[in-house]
Amino acid sequence: MTETTTKRRSLLIGVALGLLLSPYAATAQGFDPAKTPWGDPDLRGHYLPGPYQALETPTSEWTPPEGTNRGQGAAFSRFFEPDPDAPARPRPARPDGPTIIDPPTGQVPFQPWAAEQRNEIMARQEQLEHLDPRVKCLPAAFPRAHLPVGYNTYQIEQGPGFVLMLYEWNHHSRYIPLDGSEHIDPALRLGMGDSRGRWDGNTLVVETRNFTDNTWPVGHGAPPEGAPGSALTTGHGVFHSGNLRVVEEFTFLDADTIQYTATLEDPEVFSQPWTLRYNALQRAPEDHMLFEYACHEGNGRNLSLMTGTAVEAGRVHPIP
Amino acid sequence: MISLRTTVLLVAAVALGSGPSYGQTYDGPRTPDGRPDLSGIWQVLGSAAWDLEAHNAQDGIPAGFSVVDGGTIPYTADALNQRDRNRANRLTDDPVRRCYLPGVPRITYMPWPFRIVQTPDHLVLSYEYAHALRIVYTDGSPHPLPNDFWMGDSRGHWEGDALVIDTTHFNGQTWLDASGNHHSNELHVVERLTPVTPYHINYEVTLEDPQTYTRPWTMRMPIYKRMEEGLRLLDYDCVDHLLNALVEDGEAR
Repeated sequence: MTETTTKRRSLLIGVALGLLLSPYAATAQGFDPAKTPWGDPDLRGHYLPGPYQALETPTSEWTPPEGTNRGQGAAFSRFFEPDPDAPARPRPARPDGPTIIDPPTGQVPFQPWAAEQRNEIMARQEQLEHLDPRVKCLPAAFPRAHLPVGYNTYQIEQGPGFVLMLYEWNHHSRYIPLDGSEHIDPALRLGMGDSRGRWDGNTLVVETRNFTDNTWPVGHGAPPEGAPGSALTTGHGVFHSGNLRVVEEFTFLDADTIQYTATLEDPEVFSQPWTLRYNALQRAPEDHMLFEYACHEGNGRNLSLMTGTAVEAGRVHPIP
Repeated sequence: MISLRTTVLLVAAVALGSGPSYGQTYDGPRTPDGRPDLSGIWQVLGSAAWDLEAHNAQDGIPAGFSVVDGGTIPYTADALNQRDRNRANRLTDDPVRRCYLPGVPRITYMPWPFRIVQTPDHLVLSYEYAHALRIVYTDGSPHPLPNDFWMGDSRGHWEGDALVIDTTHFNGQTWLDASGNHHSNELHVVERLTPVTPYHINYEVTLEDPQTYTRPWTMRMPIYKRMEEGLRLLDYDCVDHLLNALVEDGEAR
């Protein structure tokens, strides 16, 4: 083992201990949810995303353009507005404070170089390499898959030893073994990562790693035009390395509401682990079903504009 | 005069050709509600993904027997011409080369594994290829609103130990294989999954589409259980690869 890996491993162990001792590790254990026939808290069912909530504490460096319904986090409303022709209206009341609960500043704790990189990403949104990966129909990753967009809903399946979460947005899913098995080979990378879960009382704790490095772990909708990354409350431009590790907690607050807490750790990009908390899953009406969300299939014109090529021209190497 | 030995061989040949050789009764795992338990990771072997009909090998593509009853798909004259045009232009016109969802039944026999999670009133089929999803309702519910879908809308029921899935509401933009075999948005697919052992399912698919075929026709092949310990679905994020090809290789110019 090299010195570098030893150091990194020590750092990881330190971070892991920090997570265990974190005041956010166990909360909302008061409500006793229904149980499955095999005795686990019963997560099964259909869920809608929770209400809009700012990710970060706003900074004062940027003022939204006047006379628009856009601004800090406003892009979200474009997707939540059921009638796109309706006049702008006040957005739903936000819960107090930002989604980020640690660090207390409510800001993503970027390393200095990474903060610059984020601003660069946001200033160059017209370039394909900087464009929101979700606009390119790449995977949402985590915790982003549980942050609100108006066109995502959820279905959770559960059996002895596993939880399967289905995401309407771009037909993603993740199978979460609860059997104490190890994560897959670090050489293997998945857009939605490799998840392993366990029960801590009534809370489902999921650790995910083996991510690719081409997704954003947070973000909503589309960014306001001309906004620097530091001015956004949408979480846009937050990138990560392949060393991202996410620990999520799913806890019932009542029979219909699941509180979601996610701690992100990536020693290459962030100066410390950071945690967001959000009532991410609201039980859906009885007749809810997941529809097919064919993301890329309707994205041809965007891709053509972005790449200067035509997707319709196809590819010449054989794929089955 | 036919010798005894010839007779025995003939009988054996008829027996082999007439159905599963493992016996007629499924003796694999069952769910608490008594259905065959199809949970697990499955995959089709063979070369139907390249061409459903009999085909010789090409560069990088294995040869294969036809999986179609009777050997060929009963196209109308116009639809056969369309198939031939599709085939001639398959390297650019195949919707899967553009990373569009492959449709049903093509997704089943593409060379990637898929996972079945089974509940009493629905099954979830999640595919490694393009993280495609199918939710098959077995609660007696009808096909929904008049929407159309790349993967269609699937409603299933059990006939004894066979899971029968009825899929309609296609958008007509998918193909059946990489050789241009096709259908219209009037396609009606009935899949019959009959588990024979814990390790394989007989998969039989009948396709009906009066715009494209002169009569309903059937394809059949086994689906095999993947037995590797600790196996899980990995990623084939088609869009990621396509973006790389478009941007970095400039292939599509």
